[in-house]
Amino acid sequence: MFWQEDVETLAQDKLQELQLKNLNETLQTAKKSQFYSKKLANIGFLKNLSDLKNLPFTEKQDLRDAFPYGLLSVDLSDVVRVHSSSGTTGNPTVVFHTEKDLREWANISARCMYTAGARKTDIFQNTMGYGLFTGGLGFHYGAEKLGMMVIPIGPGNSQRQIWFMKNFKVSAAHILPSYAVRLYHAMRDSGVNPKTDLNLKIFFIGAEPHTEELRREIQDLYGVKAFNSYGLSEISGPGVAFECLQQNGMHIWEDYVIPEIIDPDTLEVLPDGQDGELVLTTINRQAMPVIRYRTRDLTKIITGVCPCGRTHRRIERIKGRTDDMMIINGVNIFPVQIEKTIMNIPEAGKNYIIEITKQNFMDKLNVKIEINDETFGGTLEELERLKAKIQAKLKEETGVSPNVSFVDRGSLPAAEGKAKRVYDLRNEKK
Amino acid sequence: MPYHLSVFLVDNKPGKLEKITKALDENKINLRAMSLASAGDFGVVKLLVDNPEKAYEGLKKQNLTVTKRKVTAVEIDNVPGALHKIICKVSQNGINIEDCYGFLLNDGKTAAIVLEIENSPEVEGIIKTLGLNILDENKLYNC
Repeated sequence: MFWQEDVETLAQDKLQELQLKNLNETLQTAKKSQFYSKKLANIGFLKNLSDLKNLPFTEKQDLRDAFPYGLLSVDLSDVVRVHSSSGTTGNPTVVFHTEKDLREWANISARCMYTAGARKTDIFQNTMGYGLFTGGLGFHYGAEKLGMMVIPIGPGNSQRQIWFMKNFKVSAAHILPSYAVRLYHAMRDSGVNPKTDLNLKIFFIGAEPHTEELRREIQDLYGVKAFNSYGLSEISGPGVAFECLQQNGMHIWEDYVIPEIIDPDTLEVLPDGQDGELVLTTINRQAMPVIRYRTRDLTKIITGVCPCGRTHRRIERIKGRTDDMMIINGVNIFPVQIEKTIMNIPEAGKNYIIEITKQNFMDKLNVKIEINDETFGGTLEELERLKAKIQAKLKEETGVSPNVSFVDRGSLPAAEGKAKRVYDLRNEKK
Repeated sequence: MPYHLSVFLVDNKPGKLEKITKALDENKINLRAMSLASAGDFGVVKLLVDNPEKAYEGLKKQNLTVTKRKVTAVEIDNVPGALHKIICKVSQNGINIEDCYGFLLNDGKTAAIVLEIENSPEVEGIIKTLGLNILDENKLYNC
């Protein structure tokens, strides 16, 4: 049932004791870095966990400004690995790991997968990108720690993915939700029915915010249980929070991080159950602890006890990011609202992108959806009906009247890493 | 029953139809007849070809969205009023025609009228009462 029963079922008061102790140790470690030696100069020993809310936040920009070594809290010779998130503008953010950091990270990754039902007898195909992106290596070492046979295939090349799944009777896979949809169509084209021809049972899906509707769709397509995964490279990577068999919220590992939910405008800490931005403090990392890191991810802490027996609190599926909110003629829209709407229309294709353009000084929301053989009946009337239906449902959900268009399968940009769904073209010259 | 192919045409833009004709050319498919209907920014192309199975695979390989749709093809004399007779009969029976086009046969002596009709298998019987010849697959695809 449990990977580490004593830790996973530790009573909340004991868990908080542990958190306070580890938080104080972490603060001491962090102060060895150039960045926190200044930022936390006046912070002494914390007597209560609630004192955490008086500490300053750390932002993504701080990590960029401190490039490359400003947040490093140990001697460089003790660092054994660096990961980096894509820096499209300015410096990338880099994250350092000691040997112990990697061990702890592998352990919580293993715990995540075990929590979702994976066992050492499983054959695991890791379709996430290896390299600087944390999705691949993070789960790779976790899966090895758990004892599964790992196929480190990496992303892309659908035919090869299918070949391995078939020949090695792969039972568990780590996959981007957008790629799962794409791979399914590749299977259909090759005459492979994942439900009868393959041995897949568990999918770990993450790295992209996705909806409950897309999860169900993936489960239906493949006949698997798909578990939502949460993580971010600044904290280490995937494995920070994970769903248990209940599939009702992700247990955030409170021996690894301390979660807080804040109001992104007032920056006040909100009680459990209220929607806000997730703020994380690492309490089990050496090379680069981060204190009150603003994730920009919007969620809430689910109140109540989980029937699975784990005491670590759960966060709800990520609703969006404070920085991916689209403002269309003054209306706030999150990409997940659009995904949810599309997923709820069975005859609509499941691959889509959102484009925002400007026409005559007005913002225009354009949704492009791939059409596929299952949804294309062959008549113009059907397509017009479907288009009108999608338009109406999107308007209902978002309050904005979108432009819906259909595109051929395979004509949307394929995702190697995270699927890029939103293209804001408002500032581009035609 | 013979069928034609219905191809989804995205983005009514130069070069889109070319993708289809190129796929036909590369697969040595002969086009018997075609029709194109568009609704603003997208459209549907219907293709009647000599080897629909091969054409279907060839188009799909280009990532085009294709479906097979059954058709009823009737041979009529190439004289005024011949089509009118069929259409009257079909409409009298309350049958809706989804799509219709024609092409000449036998050096222009007769013509093939291709009707796409959904959910009305009785249409063939009705047309036969007019004493007209329903073209079979071989004749429609090849003659």
